[in-house]
Amino acid sequence: MTATAGRRSRRLWGQAPSAQQRRTTRTGLALVSPALLLVSAFALFPLGFGVYISLTDWPLIGAYHFIGLANYQSLIHNTVFLESIVFTLKYTAIVTVPIFVLGYALAVFVRSNRPGSTLFRTMIFLPYIVGLVAESYMAVVELQPDSGTANFVLAKFGIVSASTAWLVHTGLALTAISILVVWFASGLTMMLLMAGMQGIPHEVYESARVDGASWWSIERRLTIPLLRRSIALSLIISVVGSFLAFNQFFIMTDGGPGTSTVPVVMSIFDTAFAQMNVGLASAMSVILVLVVGVITFIQFHYLQGDGD
Amino acid sequence: MAVVRNRQAQLSGRQPRSQAARPRAGGPGGAAAADRAGRRGRGFGWYVLGGIGISAVFVVPLLWEVFRSLQPESAVSAAPSAKTFSHLTFGNYQVLLSGQDDILRNVTNSLIVAVAAALLTALVSMLAGYGFAMFRFRGTNLAFGLVLLAFMIPFQAVLTPLFLEMHFLGLLNNLAGLVLFYTTFNLPVGVYVMRNSFLQVPGELVDAARVDGASVMTTLLSVYRPLIMPGIATAALYAFLFSWTEFLGALSFLTDDKLFTLPVALSNVETGTYGAVNYGLLLAGAVIAMIPCVIVYVSLQRYYVRGLVSGALKG
Repeated sequence: MTATAGRRSRRLWGQAPSAQQRRTTRTGLALVSPALLLVSAFALFPLGFGVYISLTDWPLIGAYHFIGLANYQSLIHNTVFLESIVFTLKYTAIVTVPIFVLGYALAVFVRSNRPGSTLFRTMIFLPYIVGLVAESYMAVVELQPDSGTANFVLAKFGIVSASTAWLVHTGLALTAISILVVWFASGLTMMLLMAGMQGIPHEVYESARVDGASWWSIERRLTIPLLRRSIALSLIISVVGSFLAFNQFFIMTDGGPGTSTVPVVMSIFDTAFAQMNVGLASAMSVILVLVVGVITFIQFHYLQGDGD
Repeated sequence: MAVVRNRQAQLSGRQPRSQAARPRAGGPGGAAAADRAGRRGRGFGWYVLGGIGISAVFVVPLLWEVFRSLQPESAVSAAPSAKTFSHLTFGNYQVLLSGQDDILRNVTNSLIVAVAAALLTALVSMLAGYGFAMFRFRGTNLAFGLVLLAFMIPFQAVLTPLFLEMHFLGLLNNLAGLVLFYTTFNLPVGVYVMRNSFLQVPGELVDAARVDGASVMTTLLSVYRPLIMPGIATAALYAFLFSWTEFLGALSFLTDDKLFTLPVALSNVETGTYGAVNYGLLLAGAVIAMIPCVIVYVSLQRYYVRGLVSGALKG
């Protein structure tokens, strides 16, 4: 490694690298190698290994054979997987806009450094910090018919019957999970957008304020265009997060009733660990990586693109 | 009176520029200023009320669950009623932390994994950040790009190949394997934050250390340490919170009940014994899972926000 670098630099600068340069290279490589080793072993290698496995009929235990693209071909007829993609898209479409709109409104509310705003930020962000896993368990208890707090409160207002079984009907379960997730995730969008808003130089607003422009037109004409990077980041995080959803569905519905609330990651998980078809599961994973990559790229490109 | 208050606020420097600037833009005249201050006072009242209302939406459900976990199981599984409200007990916690479920073991597993992942992430990120920022070498950018690439790889999508790899390496059913997995997926953020910390070290200090002839490690530990501690705290905090709340990886890589982390162990409680689920226990377990996050975040939140801001600026 050092020798190669030395030869190349000789070619470029026409002189041998100094002992100082070589020492710098050696020290630098030594310092970054633990990080490179971990990332290579547990992130980059599995990615390539996954592509390889997806071309085999690898069972969880036992011998495997190379079968070309057969796994990918079979996915075209795999209704559980296709339905899980449709369901995940639907779920993502449902939660993304509420998370963003609520997150934006909250960011506008807490962005000023008025007394108390730090405390409000902390409290609004708390559901995100606590994590969706613990909150999903709590939601399971509170969504029980006849004993959960959700029905108790909603029945008082006459919205639902006290014996509504939220988690055994597809539509109700999706509604409950979506509300939980919007409550959980809008704090993160708030923090990301607020960080962006506070980075906008104050002078930008001075002239608009003298002009007497309305709050909304300032927001629309000044803040949102200048905030495009933060908006892109928060939308990518939220959309990719929704696309990779697993915990809340595993805990609250386990994909049920039937397979009507199975997101993509759960269908991969079941294929690998319940049906023990690692080859097929890896093919699904490869498609998931590609889809997530494309989503990220499109959003990044669209929201960060040049010009206005 | 209002004018005095206004001036004090300006002097104390805590008022944001937007508000300090407004009276000036509004034109001269004590009466106008006083009128404005008065209106702002009323606006501030609404702001506080609104803030309390909004915060309540996010915090009250969590507090309510803490209260519910202190109710006896019979009250949790029955319709909420005023009669059972005043009866609070630690019964759920006592049952959960002893006897058959013995979730204390799982809490310990979770703590071991989260603390180890936080320490390892901080250490590896610190070394890598030091290397990337202070020792530019051929391939620096490529290596840095590779570390950041891991940020683009969702771990959910490499779960099955990772499962086989961990199997071959003997890291399945092994808390150390989980620590390595969590550390890896926290490295992109950690290395990024640490590299920025080292890049912000003033040039004179770097030169002074170099002239001094101190060794690489001595410089790191004695000269840079105070300047990079906030970055280390950020990296460790992210890794801790991620590892403490992570579910899917632990569910996939652990099959031995004794090694389960807390989130996975709670799925056993949720499934229940012989079809009978004890919701009181489930709530108590969820509250136990929530407490370290709240404590760690509330006490170290400025480091968390630092990480968010650097991420937001990276875009």
